[in-house]
Amino acid sequence: MPATDVAAKIRRALDDIKAADLDDPRLMEVLSLAENLVDSMKLFFGSLDNSIHSEFLHIGQYIARTRDEIAALRPNDIRESRLPTAGAELEAVVNDTETATETIMTLAEDIMALEPDNLENYKAQVDEKMMGMIEACSFQDITGQRVSKVVSTLTHIEERVARFSSVMGVLDAEEDDSDEKEQWRQENLLNGPQINGPATGQNAIDALFDGDISDEELGQDAIDNMFD
Amino acid sequence: MAVDMAMPILVVDDYKTMIRIIRNLLKQLGFDNVEEAADGEEAYQKMQDGPGYGLVISDWNMEPMTGYELLKQVRGDEKLKGTPFIMITAESKTENVIAAKRAGVNNYIVKPFNAATLKMKIASVIGDF
Repeated sequence: MPATDVAAKIRRALDDIKAADLDDPRLMEVLSLAENLVDSMKLFFGSLDNSIHSEFLHIGQYIARTRDEIAALRPNDIRESRLPTAGAELEAVVNDTETATETIMTLAEDIMALEPDNLENYKAQVDEKMMGMIEACSFQDITGQRVSKVVSTLTHIEERVARFSSVMGVLDAEEDDSDEKEQWRQENLLNGPQINGPATGQNAIDALFDGDISDEELGQDAIDNMFD
Repeated sequence: MAVDMAMPILVVDDYKTMIRIIRNLLKQLGFDNVEEAADGEEAYQKMQDGPGYGLVISDWNMEPMTGYELLKQVRGDEKLKGTPFIMITAESKTENVIAAKRAGVNNYIVKPFNAATLKMKIASVIGDF
């Protein structure tokens, strides 16, 4: 029962007691005090009701907005279609690259193993294997297209996540380091090839191992390379 | 002292293609006795059981044991600590190169590399051939 209804009910009970024409003035005083108390409580609980109602309304609106924003992310499309497709494309890139490398390397090994006893025969075989190498290089066109699709998927996800984060005012939580395998990988495996070539050039490394520069100078050399 | 061209060389990499490339380059340089391992753990086991490798050429990024961990294990092993060790890796951050040098690597090659670099590095470690 809402607070205002409870207050009204008590008020009516008090009015009934007063109407009973009781003689004791102290009882009337108590009744009067009770009336004041009921009026105060009515005001207090009434304001509380309004504030709780308004809070719940706000929370409800926030949940509805969050649901709309999550729907705009199209998470099912990302999970069921875009990410599996991107994964399959990358797997195909790895396979295509591996197949092409195997083909080229096998042909190169074949050429190295050829016996150049008959020049005409030797040239014909080299030409044939070289043509095979050229054909194998066509993987680059296909892998380029596959990688473009993956980049497009990543851009799509990035845009939507960035919009969601901005609209909802999301702050990053602390990183979860409970996955032991992932923690080992982060601590022991490095980042692989650098973008735009090695961070420290082979010449600088050579100088370090030849004793021409110290560890500290190698550091400076790498920094200099970044600004050159 | 002349380099023993028949000495066993252990190539450690988790990519078969890279092992094949290094194997071919070593063959071109005259080294035919090449064995392979797919990570540090397998390599360390082979080194303990094997013929006494004249040279180890290892990648850095491998699981479950990295090339850097292999290097530290080898250098901490009385029987194996003198084995010449070259790191061939795409990792070229200054601190990693320095860490490998301090751990006792004999030389360091950044991928991609060529036959001339590999020859020069091997020669700097085991002598001219």
